[in-house]
Amino acid sequence: MLILAGIVLLHITTIILLLVATLDNAWWMTDKLSTDVWGRWVLQGNDWHYKELNLADYPEEYLQVVQATSVLACIFAILALFVFVAQLFTLGKGQRFTFSGILQMLSCLCIMIAASVYTSEFKFRQEGGFGHSYVLAWISFILTFILAVTYIVLRKKSD
Amino acid sequence: MLTFLALAAVAFLGIVPQQSQSIVIYTGWERHALVGSDVRLSCSFFSWRWTSDDVTFSWTYRPDGSRDSISIFHYTGGAAYLDNKGPFRDRVEFVGNPGRRDGSIVLKNLDFNDNGTFTCDAKNPPDIVGRPSSVRLLVFETVPIQAGVITGAIIGVVLGLLVLIVVIYYLMRFLVARRVFNLSVSKHGKKKKEGSQQRQLWTPPPLTCYPLP
Repeated sequence: MLILAGIVLLHITTIILLLVATLDNAWWMTDKLSTDVWGRWVLQGNDWHYKELNLADYPEEYLQVVQATSVLACIFAILALFVFVAQLFTLGKGQRFTFSGILQMLSCLCIMIAASVYTSEFKFRQEGGFGHSYVLAWISFILTFILAVTYIVLRKKSD
Repeated sequence: MLTFLALAAVAFLGIVPQQSQSIVIYTGWERHALVGSDVRLSCSFFSWRWTSDDVTFSWTYRPDGSRDSISIFHYTGGAAYLDNKGPFRDRVEFVGNPGRRDGSIVLKNLDFNDNGTFTCDAKNPPDIVGRPSSVRLLVFETVPIQAGVITGAIIGVVLGLLVLIVVIYYLMRFLVARRVFNLSVSKHGKKKKEGSQQRQLWTPPPLTCYPLP
């Protein structure tokens, strides 16, 4: 029972991390700039202003791949949670949670694609560093991988 | 009480259209076009009045980075007057239908110098109070893909594939289960004749019935 609660809690945490990584525009940050993947926050004076991304700065279409795959990762993680809860009630005894494991693995794959494409295609600027959204994307990659393996290995108890 | 409400409603309805009785002009927001091609700038309007015979359309052009506007087209008194001196001389064509409130023009053979804002102003006497509407023209060498199209396409395709795979999986399971069910029903029919000899190997447990008290 405790293991189950722990797994569900970990899954919800993963979903939250994925959502923050996708929605918060902080893949690259400097003192005055917090940018990617949807828009850019620029510090002017004392106020932060939201600006649209100039697609001329991102010559290839890789930014849209990052957007699409990070959104897909969130969707698959949320679907996996619902499918896991449904399978808790519908699976026969001794069976594995394969469907939720597959969905979670897809989510892991998608967020890995997003983070990797961003890392490789990003033209590194002189100042600043990767922001918290970028770090969270990699952390959620690890967590989704662990959860996916857990779901594929776990068997429903015959109780 | 009821008559008072009715009168108030009629009075209200009478006042409101007069305030909103201004002409509303619609053009696009932005137009993208390739160098050397033609582009159609559409302009239409909404007015509470019938379309009068004195309806006028006029288009003005303001280049990017400039503050001056120049008039390039005017339609009045049933005749269209095209630019014959300005940057669009011999490149404007009127394709609208004033009777149907359409004042669209076509610009031909575009160049990078044609980037700018085109403003359409339409008047439908006596309905003349209104705001002109502007459309921005962007001339490209190659037409770029808009920001969200690729993102949406990737998400849509992947989710569609997932739904397809799930549906096919459950369909296969359903079909296989149905075939197994049909086979087992037909086999059950045959087994009834042969099974009566085999069943002697398994003696049923004795059923002891206690007589009811």
